[in-house]
Amino acid sequence: MNDGYSEVRKIKKNIKNIGIMMITLVLAFVLCLVIDNYFYNRSLIPAIFVLAVYIISVLTEGYTYGAIASLISVLAVNFAFTFPFFKFDFTIHENVVSAVIMIIVTLVTGTLTTKLKQQEAIKAESEKERMRANLLRAVSHDLRTPLTSIYGSSSTIIDNYELLSDERKLQLLDGIKNDSDWLARMVENLLSITKLDGGKTRLVKTPVVVEELVDSVLQKISRRYPAIKINIDMPDELLIVPMDAMLIEQVMINIINNSIFHGECTTTINLWIFSENNKCIFEITDDGKGIAADKLKSILSGAHLTAENTLETKNSSGIGLSVCNTIVRAHGGEILAENIKGGGAMLRFTLDMEETVIEQ
Amino acid sequence: MNNKYKIMLVEDEKNILAFVSTLLETAGYTVISAHTCSEGKMMFSSHNPDLIILDLGLPDGDGISLLTYIRKSSYIPIIVLSARTDESDKVDALDKGANDYITKPFGSAELVARVRSALRTRHYSDESSDFTNSIFTLGDMEIDYDARRITISGTEIMLTQTEYNIIALLSQYSGKVMTYSAIINAIWGYNDEGSRKKLQVNMANIRKKLGAVPGKQSYIINKLGVGYQMNI
Repeated sequence: MNDGYSEVRKIKKNIKNIGIMMITLVLAFVLCLVIDNYFYNRSLIPAIFVLAVYIISVLTEGYTYGAIASLISVLAVNFAFTFPFFKFDFTIHENVVSAVIMIIVTLVTGTLTTKLKQQEAIKAESEKERMRANLLRAVSHDLRTPLTSIYGSSSTIIDNYELLSDERKLQLLDGIKNDSDWLARMVENLLSITKLDGGKTRLVKTPVVVEELVDSVLQKISRRYPAIKINIDMPDELLIVPMDAMLIEQVMINIINNSIFHGECTTTINLWIFSENNKCIFEITDDGKGIAADKLKSILSGAHLTAENTLETKNSSGIGLSVCNTIVRAHGGEILAENIKGGGAMLRFTLDMEETVIEQ
Repeated sequence: MNNKYKIMLVEDEKNILAFVSTLLETAGYTVISAHTCSEGKMMFSSHNPDLIILDLGLPDGDGISLLTYIRKSSYIPIIVLSARTDESDKVDALDKGANDYITKPFGSAELVARVRSALRTRHYSDESSDFTNSIFTLGDMEIDYDARRITISGTEIMLTQTEYNIIALLSQYSGKVMTYSAIINAIWGYNDEGSRKKLQVNMANIRKKLGAVPGKQSYIINKLGVGYQMNI
């Protein structure tokens, strides 16, 4: 099935490329005819065909179409625009020389544009690679901080067990507990990313009842933050959305964690879920201090995970929301972050309610 | 002294073994530990424990193989330890007879609560394997298997046949996590494409009728992506 599908796509692509080539060549030919008939000037003609080959090389994929176009151009020039007109004739030395020159010029043009395209692809790839390296660097640094504290606190307790007061020991142990909790969450995020990495593994979507998703998220959140009030507003009807439940749960937990962690003074979180045009929309707002204006743009893309991040601690924006972004996009959904009037942040993501069938 | 419950812990990680056994001993249980599948098999037959906590990733083979081995001869409650990414492993373990699972990393309170609840399950199944003549109570909820009637604080809850069957099934296996496919097979006898949706719709109605609020403890615990469990 899959093979048949890609086969069809390949053929479609070939037809498109051939189409581009033919149309461009015909246009060039017609243009040359017009110039030839009205301006009686043939010096422009090879230039027009070279331009046509250049355009074809840019618009099509690979060398092939450029090369074919260059050959056709030479034939066309020889046939229609050199003496004897409308007749192939390679016996005249002048024609042969001009044909060879044209072939060389068009081939070189085609090669150059193809190379240019390849270089652009490499550049995009290395940009991706750089982002990944940044993310890894940020994460490794972020991991080192709690690890240092866990290792330090526990060895302090072991080495000075008799000397430390119970209260002091409890304080250190509490730190260990909090840091491990944070580490556990970080690892969940990393697992989610690797699960999606490179899009190699296809997302397995199963129909999930939104109410059950929300229930599961709230059980976890209320265990961790019993003091935070969460209001839910969702329709009475049964909402079933195809998704990877664990990953979308991660998205919601990350967003709520972020609201609580970075909102600083957050006391209430509002969760509004509704369906519209066959999409399920999740809107999460809080009454915290909102997202800093300079971070608003980069917070979802992970672009803020650059050099400056290495100076920040776990109180930095971290990778949470960029993980959300990756997960929601992998689901074919959209996510956006905004500040709301009167302070507080708003995160909204949408998921398709019906599995769109791409393959037969 | 010997009326303590005996828990067999099968885990190869030394640190986790140390922490879990300390925790369980503090909670008043006797703990015996095995590090491998084969050791687990041996200790199971020689020590006759009351409950098993089983790590799925063991050095000499899959914990699942130990699980199936034990289930051939015993209904002893088994709690499985698993990592989050192994969603399908959890379902597999439950379908092969595990009673419950705990996702790593877990906290002390969570583990002790699961152990207690699993031991209570054992208590039920020991008293009578025949549920049809009894009344099941859970908090304010009472299930009368004879009359096929469910009441909450004395008020009868109006349920359809299927809804009642689902609740009764979960109550009979209370404490055990029932996977979606296990429930579907038990209620409808077959499992096709539409079954999951049917179960989801019925569960949504049951939640409404039992007055469940998302995020709040209810009679039925929703295990996202895995199944449902009657709380006890």
